[in-house]
Amino acid sequence: MKNIAIIGSGAGGLITSSKLAKDLSKEIKNGEVTITLFDKKREQEFQPGYLEVAFRGTDPSKIRRPVKKLVSSGVKMIYDNVEKVDLADRYVKTEGSSEKINYDYIIISTGSSPDYDQIDGLKQANMDFHTDAYNASLIYNRISSIKSGKIVVGIGGLPYKCPPSPNESAFMLDEYFRKKGIRDDVEIVYITPFTRIYSAESINEVIEPMYERRDIESITAFNTDTVDDEKKEITSLEGETLKYDYLFLTPPHKPAGFLKGSDMSDEDGWVKVDKKDLHITTYDNGFAIGDTTNIPISKAGVEAHLEGVVVANNIAAEITGTEQKIKFTGRTQCSMETGFHKATFVVGTYDRPVEKIEPSTMNYMEKKVMEKIYWGSLHGHYEWLFKYHFKKDYFEK
Amino acid sequence: MTTLNVDSRGTACPGPITDLIRAYKKAQNGDLIVLVANDPGAVPDSKAWCERTKNEFVGSKDVESAFEITIRVTGKKA
Ligand SMILES: Cc1cc2nc3c(=O)[nH]c(=O)nc-3n(C[C@H](O)[C@H](O)[C@H](O)COP(=O)(O)OP(=O)(O)OC[C@H]3O[C@@H](n4cnc5c(N)ncnc54)[C@H](O)[C@@H]3O)c2cc1C
Repeated sequence: MKNIAIIGSGAGGLITSSKLAKDLSKEIKNGEVTITLFDKKREQEFQPGYLEVAFRGTDPSKIRRPVKKLVSSGVKMIYDNVEKVDLADRYVKTEGSSEKINYDYIIISTGSSPDYDQIDGLKQANMDFHTDAYNASLIYNRISSIKSGKIVVGIGGLPYKCPPSPNESAFMLDEYFRKKGIRDDVEIVYITPFTRIYSAESINEVIEPMYERRDIESITAFNTDTVDDEKKEITSLEGETLKYDYLFLTPPHKPAGFLKGSDMSDEDGWVKVDKKDLHITTYDNGFAIGDTTNIPISKAGVEAHLEGVVVANNIAAEITGTEQKIKFTGRTQCSMETGFHKATFVVGTYDRPVEKIEPSTMNYMEKKVMEKIYWGSLHGHYEWLFKYHFKKDYFEK
Repeated sequence: MTTLNVDSRGTACPGPITDLIRAYKKAQNGDLIVLVANDPGAVPDSKAWCERTKNEFVGSKDVESAFEITIRVTGKKA
């Protein structure tokens, strides 16, 4: 009997469990394998949709689904969070029970979330579109009442998920206020600790001129240190100050709490894994995928998905004895909406630097297709499409 | 004075600068950050970053098919 534990039912955890359930369906039926997914969330949200909720007023209910509809048959769901993973003795413990649950394979896919403790004053001053759909909806309520003033958006700290999302917020605000006919009364300022508006040069070349044309001011190499909401002022680590009327910064992110201080994680709690086969470097029977890893690529859903496919394939291959192991190529594919029905993509791999892709309506449509197929993709319904789309980047032999 | 060693080998743009900025946040004026990266963009990017943030680019040298970049933290407000 082999027990597989997957921690976190987000983008990475769900596809991993679905692929394992499919590849090991015979073994599950015969009682030789169990797959257990742990997460106390009963609803999942399509996180890229937070931008639509925050800047276009989409109803949060449109981007939510009950977890029970997302879990494939053959997978047992335990609605509880894990508070301890013992890699040496191969067991997990959940918050709601003292039972030790043994496993043979473990996959940690607990994602990342905003960490307001890193920046004094940010919590009181800021509204973000990275926490959840409800918080994103508060931004739309706020912008609906703005008649004039200075909005500051951008990167409050590193790391954070979906690298292009702060840039997208600037473009989408520009579109919103232009359509409302009050763009001249609203100043939009984008701040970033990087020396370019987008960190990768190829994409920066595309969007820098667009920022100028759209009258979005940018302040680069700005390292947010503290925020004073009474003075409505951000202070950088270097002592520069910046005034704002409205603040929608992307906060730095943190991993799940139980990972900090663990021997599988770095000093900030990100799980140390091999960047190609995703095994936890200190233990061979454990894997981590998605936002929670320390691998040097963007924290994004496409990566979590492709990593999940690799890990599920390799575990199933080991259990069934086929030994057809595959590797993750480092493929990224983050869409960056530039407003007015256009988008570009941040595409690269471990071996290929980020490509220069001009914004287009076609790209925007591709992004919309992803929205349509997202929930089905978590069941593994679209692997044929991803295989076709990603070609040799889908995985490496 | 502390030396913070940051190993960014195997990461490509913006990996090394992300690692540098994260280390910088934890550093104090006078500290050294030694960043090792094999992305050739890391040297000009770190230089540009130092100029913009008023930190000191001490130098860079080749080590085992990578670049070792040394930065003295001088730009932080007192
Ligand atoms: C505004 C925005 C725009 C985005 N746009 C894009 C995009 O265009 N393209 C793209 O690819 N990605 C995008 N992303 C990023 C993408 O949503 C995430 O990178 C992706 O969801 C990561 O998958 P994951 O499985 O690692 O984490 P998640 O999907 O976040 O799932 C983690 C799960 O782990 C659970 N969990 C946490 N702690 C525990 C615990 N102790 N025990 C059990 N469960 C736990 C959580 O409840 C959660 O359900 C965007 C994100 C945002 C916020």
